[in-house]
Amino acid sequence: MNTTTTSNFTIKGSPLPIAIVDAKFDIMECSGALLPFFELSGKDEINSLFDLLGDVREALGNKLKKGTRVTETLPIISRKGKLRWIRTNVHSGQGQNQQFQVYFDDVTEGKIQYELAMQAKKIAKIGSWKVDLIKNSVFWSSMTRQIHEVPNSFEPDLEQGIEFYKEGEHRDRIIQVVSECIESGTPFDVELIIITAKGNEKWVRSIGEAERSNGKTVAFRGVFQDIDDIKKEKRKNEELNNRMRAAVESANIGIWDWNVADNDLIWDDNMFALFGLERSEFTEAYDAWETSLHPQDKEFAANEVKLALEGKKEFDTEFRIVKKDGSVAHIQGRAQVFRDKEGQPLRMVGINADITGLKRKDERLRRLLEVTEKQNQKLINFAHIVSHNLRSNSSNISMLSGMLVSDIASKEKERFLKMIHTSSEKLEDTLNQLNEIIKIQQTGHRDLQEVKVFTILQNVCESINAIIKESNAEVTIKVPPALKVWGIPSYLTSIFMNLLSNALKYKTLETAPRIEIESKDLGNKTVLVFHDNGLGIDLKKHRKNLFGMYKTFHNNTDAKGMGLYMSKNQMEAMNGKIEVKSKPGAGSTFYLYFMNEQ
Amino acid sequence: MGAKKLFLVDDDEIFRTAAEVLIKALGLAEEVVSLENGLLAYDALIPLENTPDELPELMFLDINMPVMNGWELLEELKHAPEIIRNKVQIHILTSSIAPEDLNLSKTYDFIEGYITKPLTNSDIERIKSGL
Repeated sequence: MNTTTTSNFTIKGSPLPIAIVDAKFDIMECSGALLPFFELSGKDEINSLFDLLGDVREALGNKLKKGTRVTETLPIISRKGKLRWIRTNVHSGQGQNQQFQVYFDDVTEGKIQYELAMQAKKIAKIGSWKVDLIKNSVFWSSMTRQIHEVPNSFEPDLEQGIEFYKEGEHRDRIIQVVSECIESGTPFDVELIIITAKGNEKWVRSIGEAERSNGKTVAFRGVFQDIDDIKKEKRKNEELNNRMRAAVESANIGIWDWNVADNDLIWDDNMFALFGLERSEFTEAYDAWETSLHPQDKEFAANEVKLALEGKKEFDTEFRIVKKDGSVAHIQGRAQVFRDKEGQPLRMVGINADITGLKRKDERLRRLLEVTEKQNQKLINFAHIVSHNLRSNSSNISMLSGMLVSDIASKEKERFLKMIHTSSEKLEDTLNQLNEIIKIQQTGHRDLQEVKVFTILQNVCESINAIIKESNAEVTIKVPPALKVWGIPSYLTSIFMNLLSNALKYKTLETAPRIEIESKDLGNKTVLVFHDNGLGIDLKKHRKNLFGMYKTFHNNTDAKGMGLYMSKNQMEAMNGKIEVKSKPGAGSTFYLYFMNEQ
Repeated sequence: MGAKKLFLVDDDEIFRTAAEVLIKALGLAEEVVSLENGLLAYDALIPLENTPDELPELMFLDINMPVMNGWELLEELKHAPEIIRNKVQIHILTSSIAPEDLNLSKTYDFIEGYITKPLTNSDIERIKSGL
């Protein structure tokens, strides 16, 4: 490119990118700003407009002619590899020799935005339209046509346009808003269903506004958008939402939303139902929740919230509440804490579910398990009897008789026969006891009756009167004569006999036995208390075995280890229980609990 | 050759009587010391620490006894002078056929054997050969 032979100095010094070219697009002169504009340096050989923009013959006219004035936006890939849009203006010059001035302008940014807008329009399926009431013409953009599914050649009139709307409320509505727009210039924005030329139903949004002249609407124009997908999506969401709400409602789940900073607590209707509160009596604050908590759970639940806010623990817990009517409900609560960038808690959103029913079922299961365990314990006890008491006697018989048969015990035949006899008697006793226990365990609730305690106690005392007198014992009965418990008279006799004779048997050597019997009403239970001043029992050592079978705890040859086991079984058969408090040297107290209702 | 001395710890008088006759007849021990429970056995063993020759070479120990049962005695012996555990061969002798009892007995390394009643001639012969 030759810049030195130029005759026009004004172009050379121009701060704008300008070139002078001939009809063949060869550059004759250019401004100093041209090369930098195209990101080129003096080293680049630039002779033709082709070197800057590529082959431009088609875009700018195959050959430039005098009087030509062309503007064209052309894409180039810059030296830096970027797409640039260059608007090129060609003006024919004034001189004799066919010269053309070419101005360049970078419109990349505008172009890209425009493209994006076009694209967005396309993606958003937005078309435009115009109704000219004076010319009585209707214009639809190609997108508007596309939405209606009509060919590009389609020329609608206003009436046709309206007939695309679905008959009924949709068409009525569009007629109404268009009429209003024509009459008073009221703009409209409606979402309605059209039936396209191909017969498809489609949700569209139509926005229109009037062009007014002399108080009259002369035209109205607007945009037209296919919102079918959006609408369907929205409807799906709504459905989902409704379904979820239905699920939440039927599952007795309440939802709450607590704005931690403002202490603003919002409850949904289910929460009020769960807590048995009216919306009007609720201050919408954290305190309202805390007030409803069961006194025993208050501290714990409040602490759970604190831990959740501090981020130390997920909020997933169970607590009890006291409803307005005084009833207690078990609530399961779960929540999530939302925080700001600094980690400060902003909101806590959670659910509450009433699990009282579940809890009750749980409780029932637990009780069932207890019964099973008890039965199992009885079975183990039974195995123990078979193993120990039956076997100890039968193995003795086997040993003794074996020794008699061989010559080993020939000298002591008499003694051995006696021992065999004793062992077989013991075996018989054991079998009878087992029979007795099985009978006790078969006791049904129907066998229970109201029994006067005082009468039975008197009878028992009378029957062991000899021993009482012999040991100088003093038995005080403080039970009201009219007191009745649910039980079985023979069991009560047996238990009282057992407790009294134990108290006399395990007396201290120093003092005469003193036995006191009293009763207490515990509401749903009645308890009989037998207190003695005897040896006492080391419960640390023996608690586990005290009521077990064949367990004895004093070096007393009378002890057979059967009494307390029987008493325990009898108490349980009567729906009651037996407990003991004792210390060695401090006497023993036995408690017999009877249910007050059958 | 039988033992000089044997401790028979059992609360069942009939068994003690029969066993003593059998033990002596089969020559398992010259002297049988009958003890009614664990505590009596403990009180008899401890003073013999310094006269190990007087310790029994054998002890038959029942499990279910009042006052101190077999397990409780074994627990006490764990902390007793070592010479007692080394010198006395302890055999559990019980009417229990519960597997828990057998398993529990295996947790004591100073127990020599576990015999289920009745005590038989072959039991005695076997113990005798292990002396």
